[in-house]
Amino acid sequence: MTTSLPSTMAAIEVTGLYVAYQRQTVLEDIHLTFPAGKWTAIVGPNGAGKSTLFHVLTGSMKPLQGSVKAFDEPIAKHRRAGRIAYMAQREAIEWDFPVSVWDTVMGGRYGHMRSDALWRRLLPARWHHARHSEAVHEALVAVNMLDLADRPIGALSGGQKKRVLLARALAQQASILLLDEPLAGVDPPSEKLILSVLRREREAGKTVIMVTHDMPGARRYVDHVVLINRFVRGTGTPEEMLSEAKLAELAVSSIEQTVNDRQIMPVASNSSGQG
Amino acid sequence: MVDSILMIEAFSDALVNGLIAALMVVVNLLPDSVSDAFQYAFMQRALLTSVLVGAICGMLSCYVVLKRWSLLGDAISHAVLPGVAIAYLLGWPFFVGAFITGALTSVGIGAIERNTRIKADAAMGLMFTASFALGVVIISKLASSTHLMHILFGNVLGVKHSALMLTFVASIIAILTVWLAYRPLLLYAFDPQQAQALGFNTQIIHYGLILLLTLTIVASLETVGIILVVAMLITPGATAHLLTDRFTIMLLISVSIGILSAVIGLWLSVVFNVASGGSIVLVAFAFFILALLFSPKQGIVPRQWRHWKMG
Repeated sequence: MTTSLPSTMAAIEVTGLYVAYQRQTVLEDIHLTFPAGKWTAIVGPNGAGKSTLFHVLTGSMKPLQGSVKAFDEPIAKHRRAGRIAYMAQREAIEWDFPVSVWDTVMGGRYGHMRSDALWRRLLPARWHHARHSEAVHEALVAVNMLDLADRPIGALSGGQKKRVLLARALAQQASILLLDEPLAGVDPPSEKLILSVLRREREAGKTVIMVTHDMPGARRYVDHVVLINRFVRGTGTPEEMLSEAKLAELAVSSIEQTVNDRQIMPVASNSSGQG
Repeated sequence: MVDSILMIEAFSDALVNGLIAALMVVVNLLPDSVSDAFQYAFMQRALLTSVLVGAICGMLSCYVVLKRWSLLGDAISHAVLPGVAIAYLLGWPFFVGAFITGALTSVGIGAIERNTRIKADAAMGLMFTASFALGVVIISKLASSTHLMHILFGNVLGVKHSALMLTFVASIIAILTVWLAYRPLLLYAFDPQQAQALGFNTQIIHYGLILLLTLTIVASLETVGIILVVAMLITPGATAHLLTDRFTIMLLISVSIGILSAVIGLWLSVVFNVASGGSIVLVAFAFFILALLFSPKQGIVPRQWRHWKMG
């Protein structure tokens, strides 16, 4: 459905968002628009609240204030419709869990299976609707992992684990892809593969939003950049936002912030210093 | 209304009798020295109860082990004691009281964790021991110490028909729930954030799983008792986790180990005239040790063997 939308439309619109862990505010007064059909990079120092923003978008954290809309409707509706896919960081997954690559990628289809007939849902996976296994098959081909489909996920290398998580997000065939550091800690061939898969998704009209520390990759591929460090520090084209001057400014903002936190809460300086 | 309840009762009665008959067919295939013990009605009731409890504990233990809920299982099992005592006092079904105190305790744990600097493990330890202490106090006022011992450690040979029916209904509910909610439960255990992103209501899944645990614990009350049920909620799942990398196979292995431990433990307890709950748990632990030593991938012996062969 998104392919026919005008490119100026907002895929996700965040208004007046405040988020806190216990008493520590991590995001303040966030107003953001993620354009539909574009590839956006979210850039910021560690602990800037980038992953927290994704936690809010995926519904696993409640904001103190503010609203999040997708295609002008409450985002929860789109989550239930399976239109928002999320690729977690590698550390967020229990790799010891007894599932195969295929089963893990099939997890991207669980939302869509709710609309299948009841009798199908009560059967083991291989008797499900063929569209689910086709989507899984396609996604595994896209990330070049089809021959490892039967392997337990614990037996994969770092780059392969990332590709499985990407495949799970692809299998969902969502309109919006949220990717939390898809390129962190992957080998160069995997990185190249992941970037080309994402480029293809964007060309197919999907909205791609990724958190990244990979500046060269971002400069080369993305359409739109958001700088975050507790507040929104800038939005615009990669040329504007990822200039040396702008990035230096962002780094300084994080040092200033740490100093401020220390002055306000000297007792908590240990924990805020790491953020 | 009354008619339909009577009909359900009659129907479940018939089902239970049918199950016992089916079990006895299997038992009678065994050598006489084994099957002789099971010719009495009380032994047959004990056998069916053990099979059911072994099966649902084995099933739930997969989730408990993978979700790292061992301590929570421990907490809930202790927390049901005052509920059982109060239900006994008021003439309610055990399950109602057990569920109320089990749920109150888990809410209390969450409240302490969120609103104070006390961490989850201390909050759990604090709440479940307090709840357990309350249960011990109430029971000591109400009933004999043998009664308390039976609740704590089980008394499967004394299982009455009504208790067997409770276990039977609880087992059916537990199995149906896991079957119907198989995928949400699996996804929630594996990756709760993904479940959120797909729009599943993880609050409902979370409390549903706690409810299921409480149900299983209450159903196991008469067999292994509330202290030892924790072992049955951890050991079969942990053993199966050592043996496979597939969740469905893990479920099957875990359920089989649960059933086998219960049946073998029951038989050994009769032969050697020892406490049934304890012997069931020890058999389950023996399975765990075997898996720990000889599991093809994870076992100590195959690993050492590969190590030695590699030089």
